[in-house]
Amino acid sequence: MTIRADNRLLDAPPVPVHCRRCDATVQVRKSSWAQTSVQWDAPAMAACAQRRAARALAGHDNGLFLVCSDLRATIEDAARRGEVPILDEVQANEA
Amino acid sequence: MDPETDEVRQIEAGAVPTRFARGWHCLGLTRDLGDGKPHTRNAFGQRLVVFRGADGRLNVLDGFCRHMGGDLSQGQVKGDDIACPFHDWRWGGDGRCTRVPYSRRVPKLARTTAWMTMEQDGLLFVWNDPERNPPPNHVEIPRIEGADSDEWTDWHWYTTVVNTNCREIIDNVVDMAHFFYVHGAMPTYFKNVFEGHVATQYMNGITRADFPPPADVPTLLGTTSVASYWGPSFMIDDLIYHYEHEDQHTVLLNCHYPIDANSFVLQYGIIVKKSANLPQEAAMQAAVGLGDFVKLGFEQDVLIWKNKTRIDNPLLCEEDGPVYQLRHWYEQFFVDAADVTPDMVDRFEFEIDTARPREAWQQEVDDNIANGVQVWVRG
Repeated sequence: MTIRADNRLLDAPPVPVHCRRCDATVQVRKSSWAQTSVQWDAPAMAACAQRRAARALAGHDNGLFLVCSDLRATIEDAARRGEVPILDEVQANEA
Repeated sequence: MDPETDEVRQIEAGAVPTRFARGWHCLGLTRDLGDGKPHTRNAFGQRLVVFRGADGRLNVLDGFCRHMGGDLSQGQVKGDDIACPFHDWRWGGDGRCTRVPYSRRVPKLARTTAWMTMEQDGLLFVWNDPERNPPPNHVEIPRIEGADSDEWTDWHWYTTVVNTNCREIIDNVVDMAHFFYVHGAMPTYFKNVFEGHVATQYMNGITRADFPPPADVPTLLGTTSVASYWGPSFMIDDLIYHYEHEDQHTVLLNCHYPIDANSFVLQYGIIVKKSANLPQEAAMQAAVGLGDFVKLGFEQDVLIWKNKTRIDNPLLCEEDGPVYQLRHWYEQFFVDAADVTPDMVDRFEFEIDTARPREAWQQEVDDNIANGVQVWVRG
């Protein structure tokens, strides 16, 4: 079965962000200041120091890893600098 | 005519998959299945027999006897074997025919399918793989801390048949808004993470104030939930209920196995952590009470599923969760292991902005209270 494309991505595709801590590159999309989606790939997963640390501690929480705070901060800064568009605001400005 | 605005969105839906997901599937509690009697399980489009032999092993075999097609699950356990009710042919847990009591010898090729099984935390799991490979190490089901602890209750368990393809229940992982409209919860935080064979939903919520609270229970302020599917069918939900005076720690299992492409067996189990305020009996009562509440929740889902159509191209707004990415993740279980692609297993995070939904929902709740409207009443 072919999985179709998310209609939201057709409207506004994600943009690359380089983490300032480990230089992992992820694809980021933000529809608002609080909404974020982050697509990782294998090199980014291997590069992320926090994720590696979480793996080392796995067992306590089954290895679940909620977020990398360095990456999160990088994305927030990128959004503030306008490198990651906030779609809410883009659409508000266009209107 | 503006083609942008006048075009009608068509619902698209392909056929349901013809194969069944690769992965560990829970068939039920070992305390039920391991009583030394044969048990029937209709799963993966076939009949299975589950039995514990005298050797203590819990076995899962193809349910139909290779001799004349008798239903082994209607037979008897004799020694380590299952005996067919039709002609008493004996089948061992490895799938080999061990004995035909009225014959000098067992014919060649007297072998049936034996399923790989695992007993863990009071649960029986069976490994399904259309390619017939054993499970890779990294797909194991994590242990559930409270399951074999005296500090927690035993499993309180429910089973029900749902007549739809099991993808519908998977969609719940990302469906933030339905928790308000279908289940009467008000999510305040919602995030999904998919990575490898694990799909996780982090959700915090508060109680709708326009709900009549159940009688004789303390006021529920909210819930914190971390729920992960470990593979295609087995979800462990670490679920904390925040009451006025204390937190109640629970584990909710939500698991299923497909009967066929258009029906599945939904099972859920609950254990509750005992506390000073919640000794054995009260904790078990709490488990039963929460179980009834969860049952109601699934019944609400089932009512929707029964009447909805399958949809492969859901039309999403920005406050919806990552339905498409979830389906990419889910697809990994329906292709050969060699055909699993990075877009199915690479880590993906999606945090919803709950501000706008909360604003709308609070307004709706306030209006209901002002107008004396009760949305619906808990059973």
